[in-house]
Amino acid sequence: MTRVIDGREMQPPEPMERTLEALEMLPDGDELLLLLYCQPHPLFNILKNNGYEWTENLLPEGTREIRIRKQPG
Amino acid sequence: MHPNLSFDQAPPISVPYRFFLAAPWFGVLAGLLLAWSGGDVLVSRWTPEVLALTHLVGAGFMLQAMSGALFQFIPVAVGGNVWRPRLVANVVHPLLVVAALLLVAGLLFSSPAYLTAAVPLFLLGTGGLVAAVAVALWRTPATGMTLWSMRMAIGGLAVTVLLGSLLAEALARGLDLPVIDLTNVHLAWALGGWALMLLAGVSYHVVPMFQLTRPYPLWFTRSFGPLLLLLLCAWSSRLLFDDDRWVTAIALPLLLVFSAYAIMTLWLQYTRRRKVDDATSLYFRVSMVSMLGFALAGAVVRLHPEFGDDPRSIVWLGVLVFDGVFVSAITGMMYKITPFLNWLHLQRLGAPISAVPNMKKMIPADDMTGQLRLHVLALLLLLVAVWQPSLARLAGFAFATSCAWLAWNLIGAARRYRMFTNQIRAVVLHP
Repeated sequence: MTRVIDGREMQPPEPMERTLEALEMLPDGDELLLLLYCQPHPLFNILKNNGYEWTENLLPEGTREIRIRKQPG
Repeated sequence: MHPNLSFDQAPPISVPYRFFLAAPWFGVLAGLLLAWSGGDVLVSRWTPEVLALTHLVGAGFMLQAMSGALFQFIPVAVGGNVWRPRLVANVVHPLLVVAALLLVAGLLFSSPAYLTAAVPLFLLGTGGLVAAVAVALWRTPATGMTLWSMRMAIGGLAVTVLLGSLLAEALARGLDLPVIDLTNVHLAWALGGWALMLLAGVSYHVVPMFQLTRPYPLWFTRSFGPLLLLLLCAWSSRLLFDDDRWVTAIALPLLLVFSAYAIMTLWLQYTRRRKVDDATSLYFRVSMVSMLGFALAGAVVRLHPEFGDDPRSIVWLGVLVFDGVFVSAITGMMYKITPFLNWLHLQRLGAPISAVPNMKKMIPADDMTGQLRLHVLALLLLLVAVWQPSLARLAGFAFATSCAWLAWNLIGAARRYRMFTNQIRAVVLHP
């Protein structure tokens, strides 16, 4: 299952707050999709240090799709 | 889970803060210097007072704030890490403060001793900053035009300081150099290659993020920085051959590039779906309108030299670009960076998200908009004072007061960070 957080019209740090809250409840195997107009490097560092993996896709109109899930194992 | 999250190794909060807290005091000094000197000093860009004022703002306010922003943006915007940031800041920050004050004293009192003392300090301070930042910017795996603009801006800073050092030595030792042409090239690199390049690169990241606009179009971000760099190199060729038509042929596209950034930013603000008219958005609007005014007036002076016959017209352009464009944009940026810094560092203390105060509690909105109004009033007074010298003292006081108010607001943010830190530690230790 994929949960979506559209952070494109939220002022920081709301997207990061909502993402961290959503990760608390993210079941293994599920995915969190975060939509932003920028690369959230502070969030990437938190994900990296806490066993999450993510992929990033830049859409032509500038939206970044960031798909986050727990690392297997 | 959140209290157990491990956060990144961004620089300690004291690193950017020490630069941000120092920056406004250079503005206070500039305002007081004008208030003390009076309006007659604004008759030409070459009076000792105007040279000192320019460097209090450029090498003081702007360099301090932009250096602090670099330390913070590198981890946050491009995912890089500056090597031992606290150590680098401990060395670079005092060097830049003392160098700027010596340079200003040297220009104000036409003192060769102060000028020659300032040069090695500037070279060491900016050299250390450029080296530390450049390594971080080249090592990061990130991509994108924010990163490339920051890389070019660091190069622009290096060129600015090298040319400035040469000019200071030329003035101090009476070297036979084309001082006017060198000054024009130094100024172009300072405003275009360093300040605008960094502002634009940072804007690509923070304008959509904080002002809730659509992103800058890719065609714009990919062409703006390289075009600006190319035009600055062409502008520098005036040192090699003296042809007024060539200078005009470069100046006009350069001003067009300045305007393109301003128009694009205003357009993004105008077309955003969710309007947020906070102090940062308004400060950016003041900055972009000033940039358009600067570009338009600059083009008029270039195409119709009779308008530029009065040397005060160049001083007027200087007020518009230094105060109107850059002090405005930088202040607006600091009003977002410092609350965000507070929030980010408070998160690291390991408290639940609900225990970390909202960003809006870091600097009261009324304090920021009040300071913004005074800044705009001071800018208008300064612009008028160039032509009405009787207003110069009032304009100087207004500018000094607006900068002191900025300092007060930033000190307030630092105090609140300490207060919230103590509160959160109490929650974490005694849940």
